[in-house]
Amino acid sequence: MACLHDHSCEDHDCSTDWSLYKHIDLSKVSALNEARPGSVKSVFKAWEERLNSSGEHLESNEGDPELLVFIPFTSDVKIKSISIVGGADGTSPTKMRAFINRDGIDFSDAQSMQAIQEWDLAENMQGVLEYQTRYSKFQSVGNITLHFPDNFGADTSKIHYIGLKGEATQLKRDVVATIVYEVMPNPSDHKTRAESGGGFSHVE
Amino acid sequence: MVLEATMICIDNSEWMRNGDYSPSRFQAQADAVNLICGAKTQSNPENTVGVLTMAGKGVRVLVTPTSDLGKILACMHGLEIGGDMNLAAGIQVAQLALKHRQNKKQQQRIIVFAGSPVKHEKKVLEMIGRKLKKNSVALDIVNFGEEDEGKTEKLEALLAAVNNNDTSHIVHVPAGTNALSDVLISTPIFTGNGEGGSGFAAAAAAAAAGGVSGFEFGVDPNLDPELALALRVSMEEERARQEAAAKKAAEEASKQEKGGEQQASSQDATMTERASASASEAETKTNDMMDDENALLQQALAMSMDDPAINQEAKDTDMSEAASDDPELALALQLSVADSSKDSSSQSDMSKLLADQSFVSSILASLPGVDPNDPSVKDLLASMQNQSESQQKNDDKKPPSEEEKK
Repeated sequence: MACLHDHSCEDHDCSTDWSLYKHIDLSKVSALNEARPGSVKSVFKAWEERLNSSGEHLESNEGDPELLVFIPFTSDVKIKSISIVGGADGTSPTKMRAFINRDGIDFSDAQSMQAIQEWDLAENMQGVLEYQTRYSKFQSVGNITLHFPDNFGADTSKIHYIGLKGEATQLKRDVVATIVYEVMPNPSDHKTRAESGGGFSHVE
Repeated sequence: MVLEATMICIDNSEWMRNGDYSPSRFQAQADAVNLICGAKTQSNPENTVGVLTMAGKGVRVLVTPTSDLGKILACMHGLEIGGDMNLAAGIQVAQLALKHRQNKKQQQRIIVFAGSPVKHEKKVLEMIGRKLKKNSVALDIVNFGEEDEGKTEKLEALLAAVNNNDTSHIVHVPAGTNALSDVLISTPIFTGNGEGGSGFAAAAAAAAAGGVSGFEFGVDPNLDPELALALRVSMEEERARQEAAAKKAAEEASKQEKGGEQQASSQDATMTERASASASEAETKTNDMMDDENALLQQALAMSMDDPAINQEAKDTDMSEAASDDPELALALQLSVADSSKDSSSQSDMSKLLADQSFVSSILASLPGVDPNDPSVKDLLASMQNQSESQQKNDDKKPPSEEEKK
């Protein structure tokens, strides 16, 4: 299998490069205009599986090739390049537009907003093409939204694999772990160390 | 418990003046809206509901999605009927209102009350439906009021275009004796896709269905959760206690055959002392009286120690059941028996009192957890009566000792 790298794949393990999928928060991945709810999760897999089209894939609704994929990460990542494996017979997307760190984008937003970067895609049946990002703009990505406005002429769009190459940092965005709702807050429940006599000294 | 933002589209056109739904179509609609708002906000505290009107001068958003039920109910007041409904514009404005919801994590849902005839083309409605589906907005349609030719067909087409995995529903409510709200309560619009529904919906459905709440213990957990919890806990404790008592009885049965009066469980320690004191006291009098009293005391002791092996087994098991039902009750009764053997004067009074079944049953009724109609309690009363009768005989036998005591 050919690789864009100037080496043969047997020596260098490509899969470690494309391992950003491990940092994706799969439970929060969502897509708009997908034919089967939840099928978007199947496109994030290991590099070796990218050509495996026997399982589920992401397909858009009948007669509408537009797709919008929202990908949140568990920690901030830096994305170097993106690889897309589409379907055959014109179901592959032609264009990809990316938005960073924006929640709740829908189609009207995607069409009107300026994307952070746009690419023209080619049919990538072997999964060897990768699309470089403007790395300086993709330095601390908490979530990324990919918009595929059109395809090569088929009724629906199909995507079998989305691969992300880059690094994961350990930083997390504003994560609120637990929220406790109090109807009537009781100050005595929230004693700080200072109020309760501090660590060592105790002043009567 | 789905986190949802809902926009309700109300039809306030001239067609709503009709009275084929009591009291008027508009009132029935308003009641239904109130119920829906309550159900949504109860099923998840972070749910938001908004309201807009489709007729009148034009589509008007009365309140944007909010979780404040008071605001929603307030804006339903003073709504005027007039004009013509614009279904397409109404749905599109609802979609826009949902797009600008504050919490983007909420699912989007539109509930439309389609009471007047639909003047849009089927194609237009289908296009709107597809747009909603593309943006993953669910749509619930309440088809009531005017039965126009083609209206049902158009609405069904709209639903088919929107429906994604059965998240959208349509309900046809014909005019009749049933109120609009009652019909809606049992539909997935309220119960929400069979995810278990909200307690509100379930309670409302139960109330509507029968009038009698079908809840355990007859208490609605929504209305009084603490009481329902307390009842449940005491029921479980009761079961545990009965099991323990039954276990203990089995153990005691093997021990009692050797021990006799000698054994004393902790709760009957004082009881035993008293019993033995009165037993010894009785012994100083006539022999047969002592025997009688001993036998009685033994019986009483055995019964209070949940021992089915002595004397009438059936009675004793009943007694032990009643005792385990309420050991305090049993102890009180036993003490009163012991008291009566100790002090004959008070005994006669007591036994007379005890013999007065109505008095006893009234006491028992006031005690929590004791049902006077319970057969075990009835047997206990009968046994008490027998004891008091035999003690009555003892009284008759020794009037002089009574005088002495006095």
